[in-house]
Amino acid sequence: MTALVIGTYQLAWRAVRETIRQPGVEVGNLFIPLFFFFVTVGAISNIAAPAFGIENYEAFQLPVAITQGVAGAAAISGVAIVKDIESGYFDKLLLTPMPRLAIVLGRLIADGIRCMAFTSIIVAVLSVFTAGMAAGPLGYVVVIALAGLFGVAYSGIGVTIGLRTGNAQAAQAGFLIFFPLLFLSPAFAPKEFFDPWMEFLASINPVTYLLEGMRTLALDGWEWDNLAGALASVFGLGVVTAGLALWALRTRTA
Amino acid sequence: MTAARDAAIGAEGLVRDFPAVRAVDGIDLAVERGQVFGFLGANGSGKTTTIRMLTTLLRPTAGRGYVDGLDVQREASEVRRRIGVALQEAGLDDLQTGRELLALQGRLHGVRRGEIAARVDELLAIVDLEDAADRRIGTYSGGMQRRLDLASALVHRPGIVFLDEPTTGLDPISRDAVWRYVEQLNRDEGVTFFLTTQYLEEADRLADEVAIIDAGRIVAQGSPADLKATIGADVVTIHVDADDGAGIARALLRIEELDGLEEVRTLDDAIVVYITDGSRAIARLVTVVQESGLDVREVTLAQPTLDDVFLRATGRHLEVDAEAPSPGAGEEEAR
Repeated sequence: MTALVIGTYQLAWRAVRETIRQPGVEVGNLFIPLFFFFVTVGAISNIAAPAFGIENYEAFQLPVAITQGVAGAAAISGVAIVKDIESGYFDKLLLTPMPRLAIVLGRLIADGIRCMAFTSIIVAVLSVFTAGMAAGPLGYVVVIALAGLFGVAYSGIGVTIGLRTGNAQAAQAGFLIFFPLLFLSPAFAPKEFFDPWMEFLASINPVTYLLEGMRTLALDGWEWDNLAGALASVFGLGVVTAGLALWALRTRTA
Repeated sequence: MTAARDAAIGAEGLVRDFPAVRAVDGIDLAVERGQVFGFLGANGSGKTTTIRMLTTLLRPTAGRGYVDGLDVQREASEVRRRIGVALQEAGLDDLQTGRELLALQGRLHGVRRGEIAARVDELLAIVDLEDAADRRIGTYSGGMQRRLDLASALVHRPGIVFLDEPTTGLDPISRDAVWRYVEQLNRDEGVTFFLTTQYLEEADRLADEVAIIDAGRIVAQGSPADLKATIGADVVTIHVDADDGAGIARALLRIEELDGLEEVRTLDDAIVVYITDGSRAIARLVTVVQESGLDVREVTLAQPTLDDVFLRATGRHLEVDAEAPSPGAGEEEAR
């Protein structure tokens, strides 16, 4: 157990240091969500806000920007794993006596930390336009924590692809999975306005519950049902993706 | 011979299949504690596959591997605790500094936090990387990366170290430094080394015992001196016109009648003759070859080498692709 904790901590810190040392890689993960936020708000907020009965469409869009940034940041993990495989460093890690679980856990936890850092920046920039947070300062903390958990869960996808394929392009494509998840969620309008088939798809999409939980904090304050839904969906997604990542690790090292 | 299970490193009928190819085909070995064991073979002979099985990175298709009495499959984690490994490709992380990488490897191998800084400093001094310790590894030359990789394999003071072609691609100065360090660790601390190599000189200088592997099988094994003694003769190599098959056949028939002949074979454009008292026989050999209608281009006389052992065991010379100077040669501090 001690070896697992030490290994996970050491590898998580190594992954965080990796991010600090190549900030250029992360610029896109900040730029893209901010760009889409301003374009979306600029293009449809005047129509969408009255049409959907949303007073603060900027705050409605804030969780979309956050999840987009998190998905982009978390997808890098798969590429980093592939780089380790290609350089032989992955073998060096496998040759240590630490539990191999630490290789995956260290990477996932580092992604959680990175995603919370990204979200802090996105929230800080966009808070100027979203007129604050209905849940108050603690609401920001919970939004950032949810983003971190989503980062852990989402990075499991890239890690799985990276471990299974050993291919950087394939691992990078893990980010693309986010787009169907985003567009099949109430990203631009509340799901009450969806056609039934679309509403059904949104109802089985974990991103839906994450967005609604964050939105509650931004627009309405503390509504525990929505927060519990957000937490449960992220946790459920995390169990599935972490399980897949561990399976991929076991397969690679068998 | 020590039983495989009781040896520092052992194997019984070790086999590894890949799709359409058997890379390792039933290897048995027992490396004594404190020995430097050289595993000599050409590219693709099965050296690296063997080392990957013995270091727990690859499951054998059949057979058993043992390290320090532990089964490499059933007790893999404990095996990893006891071994140090530097694989053929220096597996390093360009974004870390040399010091950070060694400290991380030490912690992952269970070296205590309070001891790690001193151990890292000690290793950096030994591999002569103190000045570059706080630079990112991506700025290191090939030779520096190799030395750092070797240091990382030793950070937890393992008693058994596997080195997969540790000097391939190194310039002569770096190669010599690695050799001296291996000798020092073996002599002073009794570390057992399992060393794969395609350099004859490396095996000859470092190894107490050498196994020659070809097509996944061990074809000769013994101390370098004993292996060379099996040749039992001097080696006379006569280069001729390879196109004259009839002339070569005539020459071989006549050479086979000479006194003191151990063996004769052809290799490319050369007739290789193993014969006692070669310095006396050489004039007669040249005459015989010329009388067979061949044009003698070059003649060499040599004491047997491991290459002769390799030639006799496999039917060909050990081709050493890596003899060419490495791209990093002479650039140790340039980047």
